[in-house]
Amino acid sequence: MNLRYLKNELYYQKRRTMAAVIGLSIGIALLIILNALSMAYRRAARVPLQEIGADVTVQRSGNVPKDLTGAVFPCSAVTIRDEEVKKIEALPGVRGVGRAVLLWVFDPDRAWIVLGVEQQNSVGPSILRNSIMEGRFLKEGKSEALVEAAYARQFGIKVGDTLSVAKRDYLVVGLVDASRAAKIAVANVYLPLSEAQRLAASSGQVQAVSSFNPADVNLLFIKADEERIPELSSALRTMMGKNATIGTPDSFLKLLNSLFALSDKFTLAASLIAILVAVLIAFKTMAGNITERTREIGVLKAVGWINRNVVSQLLAESVVQCVMAGFLGLLIALVAAYGLSFLQVNIPIPWEMSPRPHFLPGGGDQIFKTIRLPVHVPWTLACFAIVLSVVIGGITGALLGRNISKIKPSEVLRHE
Amino acid sequence: MNNGTILTGEDLTKRYGDLEVLKGVSLSIDTGEFVCLAGKSGSGKTTLLSILSGLERPTSGHVRLGGKDIASATEDELALFRRENVGFIFQSFNLIPTLSAWENVALPLFPVRMKSDERKRRATDLLERMELGHRMDHLPSALSGGEKQRVAIARALVAHPKVLFADEPTGNLDSATEEAIMDILHRLHRQEGLAILMVTHEMALTKSADRLIRMHDGEVIA
Repeated sequence: MNLRYLKNELYYQKRRTMAAVIGLSIGIALLIILNALSMAYRRAARVPLQEIGADVTVQRSGNVPKDLTGAVFPCSAVTIRDEEVKKIEALPGVRGVGRAVLLWVFDPDRAWIVLGVEQQNSVGPSILRNSIMEGRFLKEGKSEALVEAAYARQFGIKVGDTLSVAKRDYLVVGLVDASRAAKIAVANVYLPLSEAQRLAASSGQVQAVSSFNPADVNLLFIKADEERIPELSSALRTMMGKNATIGTPDSFLKLLNSLFALSDKFTLAASLIAILVAVLIAFKTMAGNITERTREIGVLKAVGWINRNVVSQLLAESVVQCVMAGFLGLLIALVAAYGLSFLQVNIPIPWEMSPRPHFLPGGGDQIFKTIRLPVHVPWTLACFAIVLSVVIGGITGALLGRNISKIKPSEVLRHE
Repeated sequence: MNNGTILTGEDLTKRYGDLEVLKGVSLSIDTGEFVCLAGKSGSGKTTLLSILSGLERPTSGHVRLGGKDIASATEDELALFRRENVGFIFQSFNLIPTLSAWENVALPLFPVRMKSDERKRRATDLLERMELGHRMDHLPSALSGGEKQRVAIARALVAHPKVLFADEPTGNLDSATEEAIMDILHRLHRQEGLAILMVTHEMALTKSADRLIRMHDGEVIA
């Protein structure tokens, strides 16, 4: 292989070189962007759960309470027993469990959505401690409350006020901006978990629908090994029974209205088509280029180049063109990814995961988590694309070079 | 100048299907001999040149260059044989359009393991001898017909061939340039003792040759 010849061929035959490089780069860019989009939707689907520090949520649906007075359970979240929680904590792949109790409280003058949260846990709604706007976070065992900031503004509630919820008084110790945090299990008032458990256990309406002990909960947030989530989800379904609602990144992915989000198989098929298109473009363009050079190859052989010399020269040209195409394709994909990252994606939050009474203002509205589509081209995908370009160049160059090197110089040089 | 036979063709035949292009041709060329091969179009002279130079295999018969029979050599053996023993000059020059003049001259040496400086030195020396020292870095598209053919002659000489094969080397040139190219070939023959086999259909060019071989319908007639 002669570098000078290689450089001159690529430089002086710009039309040929550009046709091969641009054609293949489009295929490579398509491959990268399809996979980057698919990964972006997967990342987006993880956001609602990530915001609450979890990978999986567990709920159990039950009956609608007969009478909406005092503290009741939403029908989408009834009792999960303490023994069940302990078994779940022992399941393979579980790295942490956050507990919560979600209640609707219908007092004579006001309806509250109340969430009992743990005082200290990186998994679950206690991560709200990072969104305190005023005051402080809750202390376990004390009759105190946090109020969602917008709700507090609407009803003129301030830090230091006392709220009466289900006939119990709670000192407002802080205001929390829940809009900055998760869209799952959003409440108006946040209490220490033990207070919410006490409210639930003492409520006749709760006990009538689903018997509840003070150590039980009705929402679970699980941090899990990412690769074991499908297996864990299946185990939870078996353990919790047919009424269980298991929220996973995949369940959010299914809610996204996108082909990329719907199926791995679509991305795989589209990627294979992109690779095939790239290979065909490379092969066809380079085959055309080499056919144009039949006479030149005849001259090389006439002056003493053996087949191996011809093949290695054409192979090197092909690999260099394909590597250039790989980098150009990567550049196109990076620009496209930057452009696509301005797209917004609305992730619907199922009502069951953040239940609000339908008859309250806005209670029936669909909640969305709106984020910018996190389109990135990971370095592994970029490297794969470059390696693929080298492989395509190698195979194309070797096949075409081997074929053209068999020509007899006398046949192509004879008729002048 | 006769120092013994350098090239021999014995009872050479060539068939393309039912068409017999060469019909048992035998000839020999001595070291330092300038032989012209003349004949009408279709008489088989280019086929004979191709077989004698190792570009093509005969259907039957033997070709010996420097005592070695090349009729049964493989494609790669023939390529190596051509690189080490023969030089070609074609009617349409057959220069590589993307290589400069000196790179075209050095083309046969590209696959040879040698220092690139040495390769360039040999190419530029030959171009100087062809009075093309000022055109070393020009692409073929920037050269005249005569200059292109002089580059092609330099390329034919760069690997120190034993025999130079020229197929209508002045066919695409005007008469003044034709004369200059023929002068170069005669100079190579006289001064360096190079054996030359030149195919032509112009009888005027055969006058200064040591020997003229005439072909007709696949046979040597004189």
